[in-house]
Amino acid sequence: MACLERASPALKEVLLKLHRAEIPMEIDHHIHEFGSVQYHIQASQSDPHHVYLSVSTPILSKGIILCDGLPPTTLQTVQRTYPSIVEIIEPPKEGYQLTLKIKFDKIPHGKESVKVITDISAVQAVILSSQLKEMLWNLGSQDISLVMYKPIKLIYHPREPFFIIRMPKKITAVFPMRFRDKSDVIIATAFFQELMEVGCSEEWVKAPPCTWSPIPPPELRGENFEDLSTNGGFVSFDIFSRHVEGKKLDRTAWSLLNFYAYVKYHVQCTRGFIQRRMRKRLESLAQVLQKSGIGEDEQNKEVQGCKYMRKVLTFSKSKTFKGKCCSFSMKIKRIHSPIKIHAFNRFHRRLWKLPKFYSLRRYSKLD
Amino acid sequence: MANTLRSYLACIRNTLEAAMCLQNFPCQEVERHNKPEVELKTSSELLLNPVLICRNEAEKCLIETSINSLRISIKVKQADELENILTKKFLRFLSMRAEAFQVLRRKPVQGYDISFLITNYHCEDMQKHKLIDFIVQFMEDIDKEISELKMSVNTRGRLVATEFLKQFV
Repeated sequence: MACLERASPALKEVLLKLHRAEIPMEIDHHIHEFGSVQYHIQASQSDPHHVYLSVSTPILSKGIILCDGLPPTTLQTVQRTYPSIVEIIEPPKEGYQLTLKIKFDKIPHGKESVKVITDISAVQAVILSSQLKEMLWNLGSQDISLVMYKPIKLIYHPREPFFIIRMPKKITAVFPMRFRDKSDVIIATAFFQELMEVGCSEEWVKAPPCTWSPIPPPELRGENFEDLSTNGGFVSFDIFSRHVEGKKLDRTAWSLLNFYAYVKYHVQCTRGFIQRRMRKRLESLAQVLQKSGIGEDEQNKEVQGCKYMRKVLTFSKSKTFKGKCCSFSMKIKRIHSPIKIHAFNRFHRRLWKLPKFYSLRRYSKLD
Repeated sequence: MANTLRSYLACIRNTLEAAMCLQNFPCQEVERHNKPEVELKTSSELLLNPVLICRNEAEKCLIETSINSLRISIKVKQADELENILTKKFLRFLSMRAEAFQVLRRKPVQGYDISFLITNYHCEDMQKHKLIDFIVQFMEDIDKEISELKMSVNTRGRLVATEFLKQFV
């Protein structure tokens, strides 16, 4: 998914709007996200305390779900989020996998309400991560009967499947990486190499070991050719039981689900960084050439020096005398004519203006 | 600066100083036209022998001279794929903004990454030694910029990788 946040921003906004509305609103909204997630929000004026939210999301792995709809553990996880506020409606609305009845009258007001609504908006993330969590949790239980060497294909996004392979003491998550642009591939490859190097350092011994290879790992032998054809290689993470203990389970599941989005976001940001830097450099490079024009040195020399001296040199005696006369005449004008009479304007101008001495070569307008 | 780079740039500077003696010369083919002969290459008597200066196989500079114009084509070193895309991106970015440089060619000569075209008009408007300084500095700056960009991209990658792994610990 392209969103690193758990809560859906659009759903959160609609729910907050409904919660903050003083007058009950009639709402029947359909929200589509990332091409595969759908929300349907229904609220009526007749029943202002209840809002119905239906969710349709692609199932992470078809292989692990036997019956239609969501697995019971996922439903339990959703119910557990806010048992007093959220109620699961059975059966869900047609075309959706889950329908929730949100009791708005039980949502506290103030800052707490934002937190509650944000958590409710993250329902899709809860559904998806609960499925992966279940697989990872089984690793913690160390039940040998659950060990499977066959890869499970998880489809978080239709174009970005990844594989989970259960082994005796670990789970391997393999991400086939695909990018549209060649430059994206190279930036991402540089990132994967850094990821491997950082993961191998002593400081990050506790982090899951990460490997990147341009060819598919042997565990994926026998998978569809389409799934194995990539341009960015394969990134594998080995998840051990220490990575899924307690609260770490949730973080690990979410990090794995969002690995694609994380890499793509990094690639996009790096491209932006390169562009910004190039733009900055362009200015400094162009400046060198702009200074090479003939006369640039002379201009620079002129600019240098004492400002006062330049002023004295540029003002001739006649100009300074004329300026003084002008300021003197202006002062007298201000004293003698507090009230303006338009008819006397011409006479006034003639009386107080100093006579002009035109050169013989120029024409002068005759009044 | 590495010794090889210094001598490479010194060689380019000396060659440019010798080659940049351009004069106004009307086109011999079309009346009342004045075209850079180095581009048209219609009359061989107006062209000088091109000079190719190589630092190594990946880094070279071709200086083609004619009576009224001079063409400098540069091939920048690209040690790996990351340097390759950074060089391509940066030089394409500059070529698309060629108007800011006056002497930059919009399309490089085949086999090179970037080309400059200096005509006698440029030499009249600008100071010759500063024009040469610009070319040499440009070459230095491009090398420096690409290495810095590469380092920045790798450093960013390392930081992002660290942040990602932090989530598991």
